[in-house]
Amino acid sequence: MAKFHPSVDLLTEYVAGILPLAQSACISAHLNYCPQCQQQSARLQDLGAVLFESLTPVPVGDALLNTVLARLDEEPPLSYRRAQDPAVGRLPALLQRLMKGDFSELSWNKITSSLSISYLKTGDTAYEFALYHIKAGGRIPEHTHRGSEMTLVLQGGFSDAAGSYHEGDFLFREASDTHAPTALQSEDCICLAVLDAPLRFTGWKYRWMNPFLQLRAG
Amino acid sequence: MKNAGATVEEKIDSASNGWQGPTGRRTDEWSECLTQIAATGDRAAFTRFFRHFAPLIKAFALSGSSLSAAHADELVQEVMLKAWQKASAFNPEKAAASTWVYTIARNCRTDMFRRLQKFDTPLAADDFMPDQEPSEPFAMLQSRRSRDTIHELMGTLPPDQAQILAKVYMEGKSHAEAAAELDLPLGTVKSRVRLAIQKLQIQIDR
Ligand SMILES: [Zn+2]
Repeated sequence: MAKFHPSVDLLTEYVAGILPLAQSACISAHLNYCPQCQQQSARLQDLGAVLFESLTPVPVGDALLNTVLARLDEEPPLSYRRAQDPAVGRLPALLQRLMKGDFSELSWNKITSSLSISYLKTGDTAYEFALYHIKAGGRIPEHTHRGSEMTLVLQGGFSDAAGSYHEGDFLFREASDTHAPTALQSEDCICLAVLDAPLRFTGWKYRWMNPFLQLRAG
Repeated sequence: MKNAGATVEEKIDSASNGWQGPTGRRTDEWSECLTQIAATGDRAAFTRFFRHFAPLIKAFALSGSSLSAAHADELVQEVMLKAWQKASAFNPEKAAASTWVYTIARNCRTDMFRRLQKFDTPLAADDFMPDQEPSEPFAMLQSRRSRDTIHELMGTLPPDQAQILAKVYMEGKSHAEAAAELDLPLGTVKSRVRLAIQKLQIQIDR
């Protein structure tokens, strides 16, 4: 079960529907691993409903009612099918939808000998939404962020100076935190990362790559 | 938003809008109505449902004056048609009808914003709902209690906290946008939201 969660601030913005699409997708994916955050979100949603009910109603004319009544035949009630078997595929449905296949079918850009990145298209032009594949025991060179970084562990795990993170764990880092994550020794690690500015490597060995690390949002 | 000082008239007024005390008799009325729509495609029930919720959806669409009147009407149509279509997915054990309608309205409004901003995305707001919702009876009971508590405590919130909640939830402003609009530091906005959430006993241990 996940040990690292989005803050209540982030969950509130998520539930209110105001987070940018890419960040919202990352939180939604975390909820699929985390019953506690689902429950917290349900409560925040109850708050939304109470506020909704207390709005001052704005009159709606009968013309609109009649338009809707006339359209009911075009929109036959759905006989509702239950959500798919949770055992089928452990990845959240939303991610599967963006990936259109499994990890091996994605196109991976090799960044260093132990790090490859695959960019997914969400339509959010301000945020990069990418999968990071770090080889078992491999290290991402020390880097910093000019913007924010959301990370969700999808497979395996990694550690940095602040702790170690496993499947379902969620991390949010603000600009200018420097860190050098290392994948756990036991297996390759795959993370989802959502960035609003490119990474910047800080070590001399990789600094030359910075000009190539442009944000691939979209 | 009704605050602690709501007058008797206001209370009667809001009761006639279906906004009632913690026992929520009227709320149940709408759950029954929705169940009836699902079971028999009852148009009279749908009409009652529409007359109650359409004005709230329109108010939701227009709060923060982010949508035009024409778009607000379009949103009302969309949400109501979705409610008709998905009525059989409504589970009165899990949620109150108003929470269910609010969720549809929020998702439709998010999609409408994205459409208007010409977002080219393969995702719809419905895709962001978790694959499975908690279904244990315990979680459901918790949810009903939490709603009643929020309802009860809402009137005790200081106006500045209630104002921020309305901006975030109803007007769809991010914390940063709310801060800019109210000319407050971002930290103040965040702490007001946090304080409100504590007061309403919404926060759980994670
Ligand atoms: Zn969580």
